[in-house]
Amino acid sequence: MGLRKVAVVGAGMTQFVRRAQETPKELAFKATRAALDSCELSIQDIDAICLGTAPDTFDGIHMNGEYLSDGVGALGKPYIRSYVGGGTGVFVPIQGWYHVASGLFDLVLVVAEEKMSSYYPHPQGAFLTIFDHTTERPLKPNLLWIFALEMNRYMATYGISKEDIAQVSVLHKRNAADHPAALLGDKKITVQDVLNSEVLAWPVQRLDVSPVSDGAVAIVLAAEHVARRITDKPIWIEGVGWSLDTAYWTNRDLAYPRYVEVAAKMAYEMAGIKEPRKEIHIAEPYDPFDYKALHHLEGLQLADRGKAIELYLNGSAKRDGNLPICPSGGLLGVGNPIAAAGLMKIAELFWQLRGEADGRQIPGSPQKGIAQAWGDLMQVGTVVIMGK
Amino acid sequence: MYPFHHPFDRPVHYEGLFPVTNRYTYGIASEKFFRALKEEGIILGTHCPHCDKLYVPGTIFCETCLSELEDWRAVDNVGRVDTFTVLYKNLDGTYRTEPEIVAFIRLGDGGLVHRLAEIDPKSVLIGMQVAAVFKPPEERTGNILDIRYFKPV
Ligand SMILES: [Zn+2]
Repeated sequence: MGLRKVAVVGAGMTQFVRRAQETPKELAFKATRAALDSCELSIQDIDAICLGTAPDTFDGIHMNGEYLSDGVGALGKPYIRSYVGGGTGVFVPIQGWYHVASGLFDLVLVVAEEKMSSYYPHPQGAFLTIFDHTTERPLKPNLLWIFALEMNRYMATYGISKEDIAQVSVLHKRNAADHPAALLGDKKITVQDVLNSEVLAWPVQRLDVSPVSDGAVAIVLAAEHVARRITDKPIWIEGVGWSLDTAYWTNRDLAYPRYVEVAAKMAYEMAGIKEPRKEIHIAEPYDPFDYKALHHLEGLQLADRGKAIELYLNGSAKRDGNLPICPSGGLLGVGNPIAAAGLMKIAELFWQLRGEADGRQIPGSPQKGIAQAWGDLMQVGTVVIMGK
Repeated sequence: MYPFHHPFDRPVHYEGLFPVTNRYTYGIASEKFFRALKEEGIILGTHCPHCDKLYVPGTIFCETCLSELEDWRAVDNVGRVDTFTVLYKNLDGTYRTEPEIVAFIRLGDGGLVHRLAEIDPKSVLIGMQVAAVFKPPEERTGNILDIRYFKPV
């Protein structure tokens, strides 16, 4: 296709917290500074900047991309903000990738930021206005109960129990206990804790859901010839994919995320991966809810339909298993500042593949990883495959 | 025909609401800036030693070189009018009883957009020196309106 190779050469992030003192701009600055420092670059070295942040309503500033621009060093540089809802955190590195792959820029900074705590009394309120104003909004829908409907459909289609699904939350939150930036890591959490947590919208209970969070993440992308000057451990972006399902959630298969399948197949083809279950060594599927990780693993073709839960039940999903899943701790454990959470997964693959994940490190020198996010009107799949 | 016949000459409509309420943190820089405004009646900036630039209000980073800024400095409460406008109408289209003067006042390498008062609108000049007039300490709340307005020196 005439595309250049693109590497991730640096990454940094802020702590994910429930309510940050920093402004959104200050959070974005701190992640940016950390990413530049990690590869010893200054902002003058950067050719262009891609920023991802979810709805303006969270940060409470209309035209939030423009507001954040000085915090990420965009002054006088080509700059663009992307927003595909929850999918943003894995879309913005794709946008950064084509900035470099196209030959237009050699060094691109990619930043994702979210400060959900500004929206008051609860950020779910931001979602009251994403639904159809006549057919749905009179019922005051929010994402919790929309996904309760989807979870119930998924459980019923394949006969999966809540006890089994709770294993996802347990593994991710336990993994997060080893992540220094995590909000909800808990080494001691059990399935019983999840099943005993308060019911929000049945079958969704408190510990089935990721927490509202504030945070920012940044990575640095480089063209091959520049990457080799910056580091002897570049991590390549080998495949990218993204796809939209129908805008109307009632028109899609609630038990299977076709939008993830299409995006994943695009990424696998680009990466030359024919047998993902053998060739992918780490998976960071999007896990705002525990059942969603299972849903997405199936869309990513890493498990048969209705069978992803077996990866958790047979131990494959653990860090020392055959297919470690969310070794970071995921959204369920590290936290879910929307756009930043997706880019955190990309940063995790970067650290894991370089062998720099400290207490979270997967044994055996993993070669390839996949990260995925999901968003827009619950219809977009965004996928990135990375390798050494 | 379209199924919704309506007796009036307009489309059938549906009332909706787009509710957005926020609770902002001041942030690291602004909290320091507004505490100083409220408690000491001073305007704080931060200086970038690499770019020799004095940001007012102070920020925790330099937008040019992206260094972290730690050198907080009180700036003079007197600045110069960089530009101004005179407001004659309200948002609802009614005329104001008194025109209001709004100016950008240069302080350090930054400045504040604020009100000008104690001067006839016809006498305002670009480049004139103006000083901040603070509310009395007990009335200040950590708000940009703790400065009531700027007035000619
Ligand atoms: Zn500077």
